[in-house]
Amino acid sequence: MPLSGYESVFFWIFAIGAIFAALLTVMARNAVHSALFLISSLVSVAALFVLSGAEFIAGVQILVYVGGVMVLFLFVIMLVNVGAEERGRDEIFNKQRQVTTSLVFCFVLVLGVLYAVNKGSSTLTKQNLAQEQSVEQQAEKQVAENAGLKRSATRTSRITRDTERVGGSLYRYASLPFEIASVLLLVAIIGSVMLARTLRQEASADDLDPDVLKDEAAHDPEIMKLEATSQE
Amino acid sequence: MLNCFYPIFILLFQEGAGSATRWDAITEGVRHPDLSKFLVVGALLFIIGVAGVLTRRNIIVIFMSIELILNAANLNFIAMSRYLRETGNVNALAGQIFTVFVIVVAAAEAAIGLGIVIALYRNKETIWVDEIDLLKW
Repeated sequence: MPLSGYESVFFWIFAIGAIFAALLTVMARNAVHSALFLISSLVSVAALFVLSGAEFIAGVQILVYVGGVMVLFLFVIMLVNVGAEERGRDEIFNKQRQVTTSLVFCFVLVLGVLYAVNKGSSTLTKQNLAQEQSVEQQAEKQVAENAGLKRSATRTSRITRDTERVGGSLYRYASLPFEIASVLLLVAIIGSVMLARTLRQEASADDLDPDVLKDEAAHDPEIMKLEATSQE
Repeated sequence: MLNCFYPIFILLFQEGAGSATRWDAITEGVRHPDLSKFLVVGALLFIIGVAGVLTRRNIIVIFMSIELILNAANLNFIAMSRYLRETGNVNALAGQIFTVFVIVVAAAEAAIGLGIVIALYRNKETIWVDEIDLLKW
């Protein structure tokens, strides 16, 4: 069933917003601006999720992406030095030839994808039209289906059971991938802690290559002390 | 000059089977956006992400472009899930379940990738990808 009424207005607002914010993410000179534009793009896509009836996924998108991943990005941007590109000294894009080649590639990709979607969807609409009714009749059918459900607090819409069904099938239909995902997250936590350690932290955990330790001890005598305390 | 953009507009708004003229088809597509519009938005986000990965020099912005690509894939999954539910498919929620796992993998990838960026910055003092060429001889 296609969207209609205010739904389609909001669809166009959020679709165009998401695409413009994505373009600005790629083109912004300052990495912090890029991160903020990416946040607005992700929020617009979450709104599109709500329009397609996936409220739970929209909430997860906001909580995990905007609340977790983007904050991590902002921390890392502020840890590494981005002063040079802010002042406009350094080039933010690759060399001219590489940029031209990749843009031509992307343009061909755009045309191909639009052609494929167009071709596929026009046959799909013809198929559906043979058996389905008009948009208004479909909307009426939807309202009739939802009549048994409880009303929401605003009294304009019904509380559907979709989130309940997503949770149920996450534990039944997809329980093995669910367990694998938890192991993956554990590996990611341990891996990022190991990767982001400093040399001193590695030395105090007695986890440093002896040759590297000897080299470093030449201009940082304290590192030997850290190594010694860990061996007691 | 404008004529060379005409094919793009044709591609953006497909011919609705029930409408008489092309203009009717376009207004119908704007007033009632369906599955194909969601797919077009997802495709455009994907391609912007690919362009970002290929053209930017800042490794953190490249990571953000990868997030854009994953997000475009999520949008496609959700749109297809909605379409399948409305045509009465039994397993329509599989798209939403898959999206949860894509988000999990994206979070893990961002944590590991940014850990690598910090380790790299500590050793090489740069975040420009064209200056990180340790494997090049």
